Amino acid sequence: MERTLFFSGNEAIAHGAVRAGAAFACGYPGTPSTEILQTAARLDGIHAEWCVNEKVALETAVGASLAGVRSIVTMKHVGLNVAADPFMTLSLTGVNAGLVIVSADDPGMHSSQNEQDSRAYAKFAKVPMLEPSDSQEAYDFVAEAFALSEEFDTPVLLRSTTRLSHGRGQVIPRVPVVLGPRDYARDIGKYVMVPHYARMRNRLVLERLQKLRARAEESPLNVLEAGTADVGIIAAGVAYAYAREAFPKAWFLKLGMSHPLPYRKVARLFRQVSRVAVVEELDPFIEEQVRALGLPVVGKEAIPADGELDQDIVFRALEPFLSRRPPRRRRPVFPPVPRLADPPPAPGLPVRPPVLCPGCTHRAVFTALRTHRLAPMGDIGCYTLGALPPLLALDSCLCMGASIGMMAGFNQALGRKAAAAVIGDSTFFHSGVTPLIDAHYNAADGLVIVLDNRTTAMTGLQGHPGTGLRADGSRGPAVDIQKLCEGIGVRCHTVDASDYGVLEAAVKAEVDAPGLGVVVALAPCVLMVPEKAGEIVIDDERCNLCGLCLDVGCPALARGEDSVSIAGSCTGCGLCTEVCRRGALSFAGATGAGTAGEGAP
Amino acid sequence: MSVTTTVSLVGVGGQGILLAAAILAETAFAEGLDVKASEVKGMAQRGGSVLSTVRFGEHVWSPVARYADVVIATELLEGHRGLGLLAPQGTLVCATTTRIVPGSVLRREEEYPDDLPGAAAARGARLIAVDAEALAREAGTLRAVNVALLGAASVVLPFAAASWQRGLAAAVPAKILEVNERAFALGRGAVSNEEVGP
Repeated sequence: MERTLFFSGNEAIAHGAVRAGAAFACGYPGTPSTEILQTAARLDGIHAEWCVNEKVALETAVGASLAGVRSIVTMKHVGLNVAADPFMTLSLTGVNAGLVIVSADDPGMHSSQNEQDSRAYAKFAKVPMLEPSDSQEAYDFVAEAFALSEEFDTPVLLRSTTRLSHGRGQVIPRVPVVLGPRDYARDIGKYVMVPHYARMRNRLVLERLQKLRARAEESPLNVLEAGTADVGIIAAGVAYAYAREAFPKAWFLKLGMSHPLPYRKVARLFRQVSRVAVVEELDPFIEEQVRALGLPVVGKEAIPADGELDQDIVFRALEPFLSRRPPRRRRPVFPPVPRLADPPPAPGLPVRPPVLCPGCTHRAVFTALRTHRLAPMGDIGCYTLGALPPLLALDSCLCMGASIGMMAGFNQALGRKAAAAVIGDSTFFHSGVTPLIDAHYNAADGLVIVLDNRTTAMTGLQGHPGTGLRADGSRGPAVDIQKLCEGIGVRCHTVDASDYGVLEAAVKAEVDAPGLGVVVALAPCVLMVPEKAGEIVIDDERCNLCGLCLDVGCPALARGEDSVSIAGSCTGCGLCTEVCRRGALSFAGATGAGTAGEGAP
Repeated sequence: MSVTTTVSLVGVGGQGILLAAAILAETAFAEGLDVKASEVKGMAQRGGSVLSTVRFGEHVWSPVARYADVVIATELLEGHRGLGLLAPQGTLVCATTTRIVPGSVLRREEEYPDDLPGAAAARGARLIAVDAEALAREAGTLRAVNVALLGAASVVLPFAAASWQRGLAAAVPAKILEVNERAFALGRGAVSNEEVGP
């Protein structure tokens, strides 16, 4: 442990992740972030994989975090745009094991198409952000980020910039973090972001932000460093290094945790000196918040708002301002803690959540899947409703297309087929194809069930590439999901989801098969099939109200006084006849003894 | 504020709340009024609760309102829920014979409420109970519960019969217009003057 190393910031982040106990790393290459994962891939104790893009990478890391493994995901600044969909909702669900997202900015655009400032994403998603200023901090802050992630149940952004990632410095290794096991526990209210649960989680996010700000006030990551000159500088990241060299006698508020901003520490600096400047690359992220406190500060009128800084630029920019007469002292006005909306009144009436329609074949898939011990990662569509009672058939819903990447990360982290993915046909085309390619490429185990109901049902039966139906009603070519999967190289079976026996057998076969497989459960949305499939009748003598049929969650079935009753909304899909163990439910005309032979050749 | 009237329509996804709201809005337009409306319909086809709000007056600013002067409920439980949306001295027009039982009640986890007159009285609301299912059946289709109920509600809304006719014609697809006109007329005729009161 006494050996001193000479690491780039990127190498330091990778080593810091291993030291922090992270066992899963993934990302998509992008300058200046690339070497983080390349380094991780050479280290023991951590599984590293390139993903097909940053969105899939984040979803995969989320799956590994859920499985109980500390996970780190790396990308360049514009990659966070690609990952923004899971990122924004991940703030609501929080994590299981710690999850750190590294976004490497490229001020000056050495090798980028834009110069966006990743810090805006921390504010946007209301998550904490750490900004190391040298290799040692890059190494150390990873462990801090993981600890914050788990303590506050949030993803943590670690922001790098080109000069941190590709600069080199000494790193003193630290004692490795020893972690206890973090088992996965299903928690639908936390991980299934349907509106009802998301509203509750969103309130927790707003409260979490206040707690994080209190932490930023006391955290040793944010240091008030005494100087001898009557000048104070607020800085984070590599900009701190430039300012420190340019103004060695100044006071400094050095922000290692730059979001949320510690307002009172800022005010404390203003009490020590009569002139304060903010030195930051790109946007006036800190400056605007300081100005909002009513405190006079020198910022982007002096420090360039584009390109990279260095100590010379910082010195020449600030020198004339700091020799001027100091501004009049002002008292800070701290923003109030935002109030939250009044919670909706609870009138004590039965709730009426949306439900899967009577006759919906998604219900059959959930009934077949839940007999197996796989954590079902869900996605966005009608079938998300399968997460609600009584089915309780999905464990997660993060964003469009997240199910497959989360499944892959979960299974990679545990090294076995522990999770399945359930995704609709339209969602599969939206963003399910890329994670399937990714899972295949990285040899992830798993079972993907595509609920192919031949439409975009939730939003009102719109077309999609699998059906070829266009917005204007015309027909284009239809993409065949099975051929698409097979073209990727993934085993795929298409089964008739309205035939429960066939469906159940196909699911079981894939659960037992090694490696990655897809089952396309095909049956048109019941809203597109106006005619009734048959008449279900109930044998009052046989029904003992055991409730097995009620567990499939069909709104056409109700618990009566002596037996189950069937409402007029029944479509005759027959799923209840499959799950009844006493032969109490059957198609009219068939006999309970199974001797019905009509229709046989 | 008081020059704007707010009507909230509540029911279960699939009951035609949005169509009833469209008829009401078109009728207010026919009266030469300004109209604003809003609806939450993402879950409309999945059997969840649906709420549509129509506001009319000389000039309407906001498309929503916390309380409604009139609540039209196409289902009994939603009628109970709709009482919470009703302004003091407001009127609830409810299809009290229509019950769509939610899953939690089917599973006997919660109880379906059964005293709407009591609940309305406790809130100081006027209740107009309508057997809209029977009226819709008489008109020719059970699906017209929404419009039969709107016909009943029309008695407490300040629009001329001719305006309602124009509203129906503007909002209802031509091939189902006739049956809906019948349902509307039956609903309008079903509410006696005593029920409307002063």
